Amino acid sequence: MKRNLFAFAILASTALTSAAWAADTIKIGLTGPFTGGSSSMGVSMRDGVKLAVGEINKAGGVLGKQLQLVERDDEAKNEVGVQIAQELINKEQVVATLGFINTGVGQASQRFYQEAEIPVLNNVATGSILTKQWPDAKANYVFRNAANDTIQSSMIAEEAVKRQGFKKPAILADSTNYGQLGQKDLTEALAKMDLKPVATDKFNIGDTDMTAQVLKAKEAGADVILTYAIGPELAQIANAMAKLGWKVPMIGSWTLSMASFIDTSGANGDGAMMPQTFIEAPTTPKRKDFIEAYHKAYGGDRMPSPVSAAQGYDSAYLLAAAITQAKSTDGKKIKDALENLQTKVEGVVTIYDKPYSATDHEAISANIPVFGLVKGGRVVPAHPEDIAGDKAVRVKPKS
Amino acid sequence: MNILAQLIVSGVVVGMIYGVIAFGYQLTFATSKTLNFGQGEALMLGALVGLTTINFLIGQQIGTFAAYLLMLPVVLAFGLMQGAVVEFLGVRQAIRTKSEAGWIMATIALGIIFKNLAENIWGRDALRFPSPLPEAALSFAGVRIQPMEIAIVLGAVGLMIAVEVFNRRSIYGKAVVATANDRDAAGLMGINTRLVITFSYALSSMAAAFAGVLVAPITLTGATMGAVLGLKAFAVAIIGGLSSGVGVVVGGLILGITENLTGYYISTGYKDVPGLVLLLLVLTFKPSGLFGAATIKKV
Repeated sequence: MKRNLFAFAILASTALTSAAWAADTIKIGLTGPFTGGSSSMGVSMRDGVKLAVGEINKAGGVLGKQLQLVERDDEAKNEVGVQIAQELINKEQVVATLGFINTGVGQASQRFYQEAEIPVLNNVATGSILTKQWPDAKANYVFRNAANDTIQSSMIAEEAVKRQGFKKPAILADSTNYGQLGQKDLTEALAKMDLKPVATDKFNIGDTDMTAQVLKAKEAGADVILTYAIGPELAQIANAMAKLGWKVPMIGSWTLSMASFIDTSGANGDGAMMPQTFIEAPTTPKRKDFIEAYHKAYGGDRMPSPVSAAQGYDSAYLLAAAITQAKSTDGKKIKDALENLQTKVEGVVTIYDKPYSATDHEAISANIPVFGLVKGGRVVPAHPEDIAGDKAVRVKPKS
Repeated sequence: MNILAQLIVSGVVVGMIYGVIAFGYQLTFATSKTLNFGQGEALMLGALVGLTTINFLIGQQIGTFAAYLLMLPVVLAFGLMQGAVVEFLGVRQAIRTKSEAGWIMATIALGIIFKNLAENIWGRDALRFPSPLPEAALSFAGVRIQPMEIAIVLGAVGLMIAVEVFNRRSIYGKAVVATANDRDAAGLMGINTRLVITFSYALSSMAAAFAGVLVAPITLTGATMGAVLGLKAFAVAIIGGLSSGVGVVVGGLILGITENLTGYYISTGYKDVPGLVLLLLVLTFKPSGLFGAATIKKV
C-alpha cells in the first residue's frame, strides 16, 4: 500500500510538471524518415525545421510561448507513420505537424490530422494527391510547400523538349507508386507537346542490372532519358549508360539531387538535371544566412538534401506566422489563418505572399522551381540566368 | 547481333551471382536435406563485413585492390562462422527431433534477426562499396563489360570448383560426400555426421558471403540487398536441382539470361515472369530439377 501511494505521488507530480510545462510551450509535431533510404531528405528537413524553430524561439517565440518540437522517425513506413500520427495527436496533443517525405506515408497518416482538425504542413512529399485527398470535405487541413509531381513532370517535359530541343525521350521509372505515377504524368506532359516517348521501361527497387532497360532506350534512338525513381536505382542507370559507352542527358524528378545518386554514380552522374525549389548557393542575403547557419549548426559543407532543408525551414516560419495571426493554438483557427495569411513570410525558397487560399493548398507554383545540374558532386543552377538578379526570388503569381 | 551478345553477357554475370548463392543452398541440402532460408542475409552480412574491413584497410593507406584481396579471407572466415551459428541455433535441434518444418521457421527467423542487426550496426542507407578494379568498361567486338563483371564470373566459378575439388579429393570432403549419399551409413562408418552438417552450413554461408563481396562493387551494399538475390537464387536452386552442383550454375545462367532477354525483347515489366514460369514447369514435370537425380523418400 505504501509503495502504491509512493508511485501515485510520483505519477501525480510528473503529470503536474508536464502540464505546467505544456502551458508554457506550443507543441509541434515533426515527422519524417530519419533513418533508411530516404533519410538524407528526412534529416535535412528536420534540421531545417529545427534551425527555424531555434531562431523563432530566440526572438521570443510565438504568442509569448516557446515552440517545442516533438520529433518522430516514421522510417518511411506507412504503418509507422499512422502510429506516429495517432501518438502525436492523442498523446502529445500537438498543435500542428510539419513533415512527410514519402507520399505513401503522408497519404496514410494525414487522414488522422484531418479528422482531428489539426493542420499538417507537408514540406517535402511530392505526390499530387496529398493536398486533394478529401475533395468533398468541408475543410482541408493539409497544406504543402513543396513542388508537387504535376508541376515537376511538366517542368521536366518542358525543359527536355522545348528548351533543349530533344525529340526522342525515353522514360525510365521504378515500379513503385512514386515511379509509376510520375511516369504517367510525364507521358501526359509529353503528349501535350505531341510527343510519344520512344521507350518506357521500369525496374524494381534493388535491381542490380539495368543493361536491358538502358539498351532498349539506346536502340530506340533516345536522345534524352527522363527519370522518375530514387537515388540508388538512378545511380544504376547512370552507371549502366557508362558501361554501355552511351551518354545522353538524364533529366528527371528532384530525386536526382539525392546524395545517394550523386555519391554512387560519381562522374557518371555529372550533368543530370532536375527541378529544384532551392539550390545551395548564396543568391540572396537570406539564403546566405540560412546556408551559413545550417553548416554552423550541423557541420559539413554540403547539405544532404538542400531542397528538403530549405522547405523544412520555410514550413516552420509559415506555421509560426499562422499561429501568430490566429492568436490561438486551435487547429481550425490556424487553418483559417493559413488560408488567409496577412503577413508576408520571407522564406529561403520564396517570399510567401498569401501562399494559400481556401481552395489552393499549394504554396509552390510552377514558376518557382528552377533546374539544378549535378556537377562535381554538388547541385548547381543549370541555367544561372534563370536566377540572376531580380529573378533570384521567384514568387507565386496572385490568383 | 551485338545487342543479343550484350544481353547474354550481362545475363551471365547476374546468373553467376544467382548460381553461387544457389550453390550454397545445394551444399546444405546435400548433407542434411535442409536449407538456410536466410541465405540472402548471409550474403548481405558478408558484404557489410567486407565493406567495414575494406574501408579500414584503405584507411591504413593500402591500395584498393590490395585491400580487397586482404579483405577476402576475413569475409570468408566470417561467412564460415556465421553459417555454423545458423546451423547451431536453427537447424541442429530440428534435425535431431526430425522436425519437418522447424528448420524453415528457424532459418527465416534468424535471417530477420540478422537483417535487423545489420540495420542497427550499419544503418539503413545503401552504401557504396569501393571497386578494386577500374570501372571503365572494356569492349570486346562491340560487347561492353566492366572488369569487375569478369571478376564476378571468374570468382564464382573459382569458388565452386574449389569447393567441389575439396569435396572430391580431401578426406574431409569425402566425409561430406559420404554423408550426402547416406547419412545413416556414414554415421555407422564412424563419420561425425553432425559435424559434417555444421561444416556444410559454414561452407554454404561462406559461398553467400563471397557472393556478397563480389556483387557489392557493381551495386550498393545495405541491409536489404540480400532479400531479392536470396529469393532468385532459391528459384535457381529449384530449376537446376538441389542435388547438383552443375545444375545450379546452369540454372543461374538460364534465369539471368532469360531475365535480360525478356526485359529487352518483351517488356521490362515482365522481366521476372519467364523465370518463375520455368520454375513452375520444372516443379510440375521434373520436381527434382533439370539436373537433379530423382530421390525416393522412404517414410
